[in-house]
Amino acid sequence: MESLSYQLKEQIIDALNLKGMTPSDIDGDVPLFGDQGLGLDSIDALELIVILEKNYAIKLTDPAKSKDILKSVNSMVSYIEANGKF
Amino acid sequence: MTGITGHNIFCGLGFGSDEVYSRIRAGESDLGLHDSGFALPEPFYASLVQRDEIERRFAGLPDTCQMTAFEKAMVLSAADAVAMSGIDPSAEDTLFVLSSTKGNVELLESGMERPDGRMSIWSSARRLASFFGNPNEPVCVSNACTSGICAQIAAFRAISSGKFRNAVVVGADFLSRFVVSGFQSLKALSSERCRPFALHRKGLNLSEAVASIVLSSDTAGIGISLEGGAIRNDATHISAPSRTASGQIAAINAVLEGKPGFDLAFVNLHGTATLYNDSMESVALHTCGLDTLPAVSYKSIFGHTLGAAGVVETIVSALSMLEGVVFPTPGYGENGVPYELSLSDRFRKISGTGFLKVMSGFGGVNAATLYKLIR
Amino acid sequence: MKLLSEYSFVPSPENVDELYRSLGMSYPKFFKMDLMSKASLLAAERVLLSAGLRSDETKPDMAVVLVNSTSSAIDDIEFQKTISKESFFPSPSLFVYTLPNVACAEIAIRNRIMGETSFYLRSSYSEDFLFKAAGWAFSDPSCRKVLCGWTECLTDTPLCRMMLLERDI
Repeated sequence: MESLSYQLKEQIIDALNLKGMTPSDIDGDVPLFGDQGLGLDSIDALELIVILEKNYAIKLTDPAKSKDILKSVNSMVSYIEANGKF
Repeated sequence: MTGITGHNIFCGLGFGSDEVYSRIRAGESDLGLHDSGFALPEPFYASLVQRDEIERRFAGLPDTCQMTAFEKAMVLSAADAVAMSGIDPSAEDTLFVLSSTKGNVELLESGMERPDGRMSIWSSARRLASFFGNPNEPVCVSNACTSGICAQIAAFRAISSGKFRNAVVVGADFLSRFVVSGFQSLKALSSERCRPFALHRKGLNLSEAVASIVLSSDTAGIGISLEGGAIRNDATHISAPSRTASGQIAAINAVLEGKPGFDLAFVNLHGTATLYNDSMESVALHTCGLDTLPAVSYKSIFGHTLGAAGVVETIVSALSMLEGVVFPTPGYGENGVPYELSLSDRFRKISGTGFLKVMSGFGGVNAATLYKLIR
Repeated sequence: MKLLSEYSFVPSPENVDELYRSLGMSYPKFFKMDLMSKASLLAAERVLLSAGLRSDETKPDMAVVLVNSTSSAIDDIEFQKTISKESFFPSPSLFVYTLPNVACAEIAIRNRIMGETSFYLRSSYSEDFLFKAAGWAFSDPSCRKVLCGWTECLTDTPLCRMMLLERDI
């Protein structure tokens, strides 16, 4: 599902104002949060939840569960493939 | 000395501090589930000011500038507090200070692309001041959830500067599709009555209120004086409090500095019932050596009334100080914060001659005010 | 109080990007901010640099006082668009900027300013009020310096004017 991953990265770049970044700059396996990778914060996490809701009809309500899903682009892709509409 | 000479609370529980106080004293709360409120897809837990009650009370008063319900409620609340204080609201040495986070933001629903004068908070404040014939440009404080006590601090400083003898501090925020959906998007709301500092707390309840305090120089007023206040930023994150509570600790220390032996009876916490706020406050109180002091949060009684919260809560604390009790914090059961605080599910008698009020909010801002009982 | 440095510019999306580049800053968070925070942060950067103050030094004795007329109306309008009845996806990252004092926080975070931060609203630009509000911040005994500014991006005459004031000793 290269295309889903690419599309998701584009949506992340757009929603989080990651200026100057392209999908190829984001490694699908690298953690989105913390010091490595994109270094996203708690508001970014909430914005990722909006991306899933808006584009893939996925509603995340359990914050503890969200953490694993939002770990990386690839973990989000797996979840979308299993649960989303795309 | 800067004393409280008048006060009013207008909320879902009623109009007037005495009515509201007697109802919460009897254990009442107006918090409840609002399904399809503001045409929102998800229900929310809140207490709302009845719009027809505003119109009923306002009927017969002059409305020369077509005030919104929000503005009429401010006028009603301020008028009641001013009448109690006996001050002249039209005097040059009276200043109006408004605390609101979102004012008339509901007007955006009519689809405006650029805000007109009506939407600005300063224009609401002007309508308020001009209703009372006050000649001064009002001061508008917008410091997120701390605004209600930051407005009192601004009033205190304006009075201390010698230019003003009286200040009418009005705290006001109404809910809207805008405000509720915003907090929903932050996953900050509890789907049931909030439980400050409790192990199983799930977030906050938003609510509406308008409240007013008149502060006057050289008088003890109702017997409670504002001794000072301090505001500190924790410079950590725009929406999350510092885990070390650095800003709140600095604000509390600043307000208590130079007051050795000040006999605190209780502390009125922000206690929103969000995971991070309540934990941060417990760290702050513990570090300041205040964790054994009787503590209270009113959020599970009133909900979080945003720009009004600091004013509402100061009034309730002042009245309970005068009565010699500290309120229970409904919903607090098992402790859920790093350092257990002295909270209770029942009224407690207090000793001491003053209370501390603390708040924190988005934008890393923390504020503390100190009040003294004057017999 | 003594004026240590000041800087004014007309804030617009183009002007803030230009100023960011000219300052040679590397601060990725900048791109996530709303226009008012960007403008205020850059003006603060200029003023603090002129006064020889480093952003990475903790400043417990400095306050940030900002004033404007339209509050966060630019962001309010944008957020309102995300909650229409047809397409209801409220944006958390937009909502946080619908509190104007978040601009104070962005300056405080960047420059480790731990003193007071206050945001006031006023019908129009008033230098008198800026000095009055700075004076209120100085009434806190621990406050030595105030970063004080007017930051208005929406009216017909947008202006960002920042001053660094020091307490008279």
